[in-house]
Amino acid sequence: MPSKYIKLITHDKHQFIISRDSANVSQTIKAMLETSMFKESSTNKIQLEENALIMNKICEYFYYNLKYNSNNDEDGDIPEFEIPTEMALELLVASDYFNC
Amino acid sequence: MSRRPLKYRREESANGTQTEASAIRGPNSALTEFLRQQGISAEEIRQRHLRRVAGEEATLEDAPGVIEINRETEPDQRAEEEEQEPDQEELEIRIAARRKRRAARDNNDGEYTDSDSEDNLEQEDNHIDQDAVERARIVGDEVECFRCSTSFVVSVYSEQDPETGGYYCVDCLKMKQENDRAIRKNQLASRKKRQRLAVALLDRQDVKIPSLQDISIKRITERIEDVDELGDIGAINMKKIAKIICRNRSLNDTTLSLFLNTAIEVLELWDCSKITKDSYDKICSFAPNIKKLTVLMCGRFHNDNLNYYATNFKNLTSLELDGPFLINNQTWQSFFKVKGKDLTSFKVSNTHRFDDTTLETLLQNVDAEKFQSLKLSRLAGIKFKDSYDMIPMYLTNLFELEISYPEHEELVDDSMLINTLSINGESLNTLVLDGCAGLTDEFLINGIKPFASKLRKLSLQFLDQITDEGFVGLFHEWHTNLGLNEVFLKKCFSLGDAGILEMFLHSNTTLVELSLNSVKDLTVLPFQVMRCNNLIYLDIGFIRSIDDRVLELIQKNCKQVKIIDCYGNNKCTAAAKIREDVKVIGRQSDTLW
Repeated sequence: MPSKYIKLITHDKHQFIISRDSANVSQTIKAMLETSMFKESSTNKIQLEENALIMNKICEYFYYNLKYNSNNDEDGDIPEFEIPTEMALELLVASDYFNC
Repeated sequence: MSRRPLKYRREESANGTQTEASAIRGPNSALTEFLRQQGISAEEIRQRHLRRVAGEEATLEDAPGVIEINRETEPDQRAEEEEQEPDQEELEIRIAARRKRRAARDNNDGEYTDSDSEDNLEQEDNHIDQDAVERARIVGDEVECFRCSTSFVVSVYSEQDPETGGYYCVDCLKMKQENDRAIRKNQLASRKKRQRLAVALLDRQDVKIPSLQDISIKRITERIEDVDELGDIGAINMKKIAKIICRNRSLNDTTLSLFLNTAIEVLELWDCSKITKDSYDKICSFAPNIKKLTVLMCGRFHNDNLNYYATNFKNLTSLELDGPFLINNQTWQSFFKVKGKDLTSFKVSNTHRFDDTTLETLLQNVDAEKFQSLKLSRLAGIKFKDSYDMIPMYLTNLFELEISYPEHEELVDDSMLINTLSINGESLNTLVLDGCAGLTDEFLINGIKPFASKLRKLSLQFLDQITDEGFVGLFHEWHTNLGLNEVFLKKCFSLGDAGILEMFLHSNTTLVELSLNSVKDLTVLPFQVMRCNNLIYLDIGFIRSIDDRVLELIQKNCKQVKIIDCYGNNKCTAAAKIREDVKVIGRQSDTLW
């Protein structure tokens, strides 16, 4: 039985513990967790190169996506996901990697 | 605002001295001017209104509760009228009160409706006056609430039910107002949602959560001026950003440099209208390894730039330019003499300075074995038929050929195409002949059919001489060709059922994109035969026979279809059953409001 939560460790040693469902928003993480030959799938820990600031925003997006993707046919009023302008480029690089 | 000039006008017209030229007045609007010319005066209308109200006076006499004194309103107007009648002042007060109540009620209504137009303003006025009279009669009386049957005293704030005419008590009124507010809010939300859906449909997208990449790209492109370097964002994202900033029209000298580095081999810039001469040189000096360069809307692309490219782009093999009208024939020719032998693809469109001799120089200098793609679109400078006729003499290995919208339709004719196809047919994959209206069935039957065995994309838009006969002749037992992938027949007016049927029988399984836009004589028949399992995009706009049933039939028979354009088909309604993964664009029911 795989754990319900997974741990993302940034390169500046911050740990983000998020639900598996939300992490699966990222196709990259999903692939890591689902492929049994990777160590990540058994330990549920993923070591990442991103820094904590960016990772924080990415986790926020995971939950944002999870929340509004599941109930989008109700009233369809989805608030915009806010990102600070100065972070946009780094986020683009990171989201390109995470494929989300 | 308008009272002062109106007053002047009344005085002037009274003594009859006013003329258009001599009148001294401040700035006024076009409407005021119009009303003045038509002899319509607001004062007159007001007087008439006052007279009418005076008529009602008698009936209002016994309801003192209704009078709300508001001395603040229109004191100068009162001063004007004071000497007319002793009763006038009281009347004014009544009017002011009524106007105030009406304003309050209008605010409650929120939005203006069409009925507010000037035509029935007068009528509306009457109606409201009647209302006021009705209400005035009852204010202060004790009545039963028409909903909860408790008795209460009617005040000026009480509201009537529009259908039954009964009054709401205070509590019920509060409830009703809250209800109304909720309904209005819901309506607004659903309208917003419909609008968002319709907008997304036009962009051919689903309404879904945007990916973080797209959000970031949006934010970056908003502030592209402040970006120093894009960094390692991947080629796909780079292309996306380039596309978006071209669409925003914010590609300029500063933002251009973000896309240039020594590693890139392909560069596509869709809107270069803001790029200056110096920056075109910069493309070459910062990204010297480019093999394939696409520069569209390059109005400022200069002779010097092309000369610079000729000597400094060592690897350039493919060049596409749209709108390079500053380049003169001499520069074109010297460019072809230097680079011609390296080119595999040359595409040019929208310039009048590309003439017959330039085309000849191009053809003479390219390497016939290497050269694969030629596009000559909207070149007004090519004026002689002989120039086009030369193409098959020099080019023998074409993969892609586009000759579209020539200056005159006689410039491109059947014999030239049959000639070209007989030589290049073996290799030809794409043939675009949009707007060469001089072409007839002959080139289909004697050119395409015998020679173009590898043809996959055929575009014949605006070819009005192509008929059923040609299409049947082409597609009937065309065994050498295994099927076309993309066919565009927009505005081929003379085509009918038989030709399209034959096309379906030949290319049913291979068609991926198909446009039959404005092939107006088509009936339901070809669509009943259509079994295009690989079809993804279909344009059936402006074909009158298409209705909801045909739409459903197409979806049933074409399992993969994703986008159906059906603009101008007024028999396609919201009632048609549309598969979830299909987007039907252009139905009248998908309006924004």
